[in-house]
Amino acid sequence: MEELLSDGEKNAKTVTCQRCGSVVLKPNNATLVKKEKFLPSMRKKTEGTDAGGDTLQDFWLVTDMYTFENVGFTNTVENIKFLICADCEIGPIGWHDLSDKQAFYVALERVEHK
Amino acid sequence: MDDDVLTTLKILIIGESGVGKSSLLLRFTDDTFDPEIAATIGVDFKVKTLTVDGNKAKLAIWDTAGQERFRTLTPSYYRGAQGVILVYDVSSRNSFNRLEQWLSELETFSTKQDIVKMLVGNKIDKDKKEVDRNEGLKFARKHQMLFIEASAKTREGVQCAFEELVEKIIQTPGLWESDSQPKGVSLTDTGSAAVNSCAGYCSLV
Repeated sequence: MEELLSDGEKNAKTVTCQRCGSVVLKPNNATLVKKEKFLPSMRKKTEGTDAGGDTLQDFWLVTDMYTFENVGFTNTVENIKFLICADCEIGPIGWHDLSDKQAFYVALERVEHK
Repeated sequence: MDDDVLTTLKILIIGESGVGKSSLLLRFTDDTFDPEIAATIGVDFKVKTLTVDGNKAKLAIWDTAGQERFRTLTPSYYRGAQGVILVYDVSSRNSFNRLEQWLSELETFSTKQDIVKMLVGNKIDKDKKEVDRNEGLKFARKHQMLFIEASAKTREGVQCAFEELVEKIIQTPGLWESDSQPKGVSLTDTGSAAVNSCAGYCSLV
């Protein structure tokens, strides 16, 4: 965790898509926050099974959507838009709750740090 | 936001269902991979960063995501857009014939007079061709649009299309502003309508 941080709380490295390498965030543009959040699995469900998801705790917080280099937003589900890779659409890599216009969260576990 | 970003722009992708609008936004398409979340919930819009002539622009790109099937798109979809990509499928005469209606809807709802338009003849990788390249070019010229033939499958032309569109927007005075775009998900009109009209078309293929 330490090596991912600069100034104690900012992302020291470039945040990229795990699958296609698309740049999501440039260094020093997001702040580490601890928050418990369940996100659906990134893997495709196989017939008849529930792919489930993970409860994640470490997120990069971004306060303006234009801070992202590249990111996609899904349609709204229960007041939430999931964040996906803009180039290959894998996700969710994070989420945005419409009730808080200045909070966009990217899960550390679901992205690469380069 | 980075200090070196020149502007943020709202770009729309419109056209009939099935012409390949959504796939224009993918950097590569992989048939063996079908992103579950995007397929089930649907993609609303994307933020993409593009550098044109050394100018860095952040684009909010909106795709109709199938809403066009239900006719018509809401006025808010068009509001504040600086650029539009109108797509037809070169293997579908019908998708080409519908272009006039799309343009008239755009003219009804767009809030910026100088909105930069690009016509994209998509799916040129297909063997079947119902719309000749010259027809596309002629239509684009008549309506003062940029023109390109493309294939999302081969990525031919797609990157060029976005770059060309952004370049043209940046060259159009009054269409964009460096600091007055509202922040957040709801992109609203900044209220400036330029009167300068710049006509032209170009071909990239």
